[in-house]
Amino acid sequence: MITAARYELRMMLRKRSLWVSLGVIVVLLAAVGSQQVREVIRQDDPKGTMLSGALLVNIFLPVAYGCLLADRLVRDHRLGVAAILDATPASPVARLTGKYLGVCAAVTAPVALAYFGFAVAYAIASGRFAALGWALAAFALVLLPAVLFVGAFALAVPLVVPAPLFRVLFVGYWFWGNSITPDTMPTLAHSIVTPIGSYPMQELLGFRIRGGETIAGPVPGAALNFLRPEATPVTAWLSIGVLLVLAALALAAASVRPRR
Amino acid sequence: MRIDIDRLTKRYRGGVTALDGLSLEVPTGMFGLLGANGAGKTTLMRILAGLLRPTGGSVRVGEHDVTTRAGRAAVRRVLGYLPQELGVYPDLSAREFLDYVALLKGIDDRTERRRRVGEVLEIVALAGDAGRKLKGYSGGMRRRVGIAQALLAGPRLLIVDEPTAGLDPEERIRFRTLLAQLAGDRTVLLSTHIVDDVAQTCRELAVLASGALVFRGTVEELTSRASDRVWSVITAGPAPTGGTIVSAVPHAAGMRYRVVAPVSPAAGAETVEPNLEDGYLALVK
Amino acid sequence: MRPLALWRHEIRRAGRAPVLGPPLLAGALVVITWADHPLRNLFVFLELGLPLTAGLGAAALAGRDPAAELQFTMPTAYRSTLMRRLAVIAAWTALVAVAISAVLLVADGWPGTRGPVAGQLTWLAPGLWLGAFGLLAGAALRIPAAASGIVAVLWLVEQLFGGAFQQHFVMKQLFLFATTQGAAPEEWAVNRLTLIGTAVVLGAGGWLLSGRSYQEESE
Repeated sequence: MITAARYELRMMLRKRSLWVSLGVIVVLLAAVGSQQVREVIRQDDPKGTMLSGALLVNIFLPVAYGCLLADRLVRDHRLGVAAILDATPASPVARLTGKYLGVCAAVTAPVALAYFGFAVAYAIASGRFAALGWALAAFALVLLPAVLFVGAFALAVPLVVPAPLFRVLFVGYWFWGNSITPDTMPTLAHSIVTPIGSYPMQELLGFRIRGGETIAGPVPGAALNFLRPEATPVTAWLSIGVLLVLAALALAAASVRPRR
Repeated sequence: MRIDIDRLTKRYRGGVTALDGLSLEVPTGMFGLLGANGAGKTTLMRILAGLLRPTGGSVRVGEHDVTTRAGRAAVRRVLGYLPQELGVYPDLSAREFLDYVALLKGIDDRTERRRRVGEVLEIVALAGDAGRKLKGYSGGMRRRVGIAQALLAGPRLLIVDEPTAGLDPEERIRFRTLLAQLAGDRTVLLSTHIVDDVAQTCRELAVLASGALVFRGTVEELTSRASDRVWSVITAGPAPTGGTIVSAVPHAAGMRYRVVAPVSPAAGAETVEPNLEDGYLALVK
Repeated sequence: MRPLALWRHEIRRAGRAPVLGPPLLAGALVVITWADHPLRNLFVFLELGLPLTAGLGAAALAGRDPAAELQFTMPTAYRSTLMRRLAVIAAWTALVAVAISAVLLVADGWPGTRGPVAGQLTWLAPGLWLGAFGLLAGAALRIPAAASGIVAVLWLVEQLFGGAFQQHFVMKQLFLFATTQGAAPEEWAVNRLTLIGTAVVLGAGGWLLSGRSYQEESE
């Protein structure tokens, strides 16, 4: 498993597409969304800055790495590597887990580079080094669970639907399930299954949008409120746990389903 | 259709030199290209097919200069090409795939297309399986589809890269015979590392090593390179160490070794008649 | 004019994503919002969903052909083949858009602000723009996964930073979702025509890059 993870990580980090696409996207975000990026930065508030930054990263970058990872598992089959690996003593489950951890580690690298780069730049410019601590916490509690969740589905679902179709459906889902306000239409946003990490962001890290709006918990009059329990630290941990369980279920399904 | 290659060089990004000042003239008819893996055969094939542009030198296929865009376009109109690794569309049946390739080759008339597709399917003995999707085909069957598509549109230049890889012995013999039959007024360039395929089909051949030409001549000339250098040794002891062992066959008195070596590799060794494989080994070793 | 048989093959080669994507997304949207203004959301889908599927479909065209080596040896230029596949995506997107428009008109769900003819620019302008951008990204990178990611993030950025786009003069003209995010009527037409104009430029860039040789493709 560790060997599979190490090789997958090495292969992914060598992929030009990983760095080119995430690099272009970070530049795109900085250029097109420069005003929003500026709004994120609060000179006197390292915590608010780091958490807003984490939210921004978690809204956009998973779309990119979800698209990137969509063909990693089916590709092994297409290239004939799967048949060779099937003949090795390593168990398929261990190999799949290793591959999964490898691709997650690989996409974590550019995400971490972008986010911690921002954190270090902010800390140096503002002299508020507490930002680095908040960045670490947000990374562990918000960005990492999103990587693990998206990584699992991006590996597993293309075994059932073609990778290009998965990308279309995934982008649609991501927008609908994370960015639509719940009073507009039935959505998973603000719920414990929201992979942008609304609950941990709000309850474990104390994040509030400017103006004091909440991003987790029940929304009066909204559909699917059963997925939005009262936001507390317990439900925040539950949210992380649910995301990880869903990721594990997706991987388990992938390990039993024969490859297309 | 004659091919003239003059001081052809191909250097890839990263500095790997695949072809190093190669000059070669290929006449109309069947012509073999031998060489170890990495000798530059596939690069040469791809340059001739217009897929790669050379770093230096010139290549003329008939009247066309393949270093120019117009020349490459002209060659594509008379070319049948079988790549070493043939990618296909797995969701298509063999008949659909060939129909598509025929359209891409400009056979727009439906009746003509059906006739040509039917003909090539018969030639490669796939008519009975033509309705099955390619994803269910074995490696050998896919290879035959590759051969069939190369034959569509009656190419005047046929470039086939390792065409018999993956074919069973019967298919291999049938296919190389077919290639030899096709090479009347056509040029058929057969690239392979299976020496026997060249021995059975070509009169003339070239041998590449490390991107350079090391032999150009007839099959007999290459075979004669091993004259008085092929030895048969029967021994119950260790294998002979001098020269290159071509084969080792169990024998009542131990093992019978066939060895290519400039001098007798062991006591009691007898010279035997060389074949093309011996000649090739004598040349490259 | 090439035979219809060639187009039939290219319809299959254009990929399932741009063909199945629009009906699947539109269907999901209608089901999710069935109890609350499904027709209004279907109209929103014209401007949001269809350009997204067209853009992602175009981004995945170059760089994923398993028979690319063979294609590059054909008398039919590979660029023409890619353009045919792009045309299939465009035609299907248009067909779905017109069908949705017809449903909205019949069910009295077409917004009164623009007529049904001029209103087709709701999907046509952003669809052409994102399709052309997808073609350019795909042809430049030759890696469908990377090009798709870039198209998807651009779509999301425009969607979520709509306010910022509307405030900046140049960005306002290039804003993809001016209809559903409430552009002023006099600015809407300018925005749509600018999108179509810049789509032509992006498409020309994509066309140029898609003519690269097998050598450039493989290196």
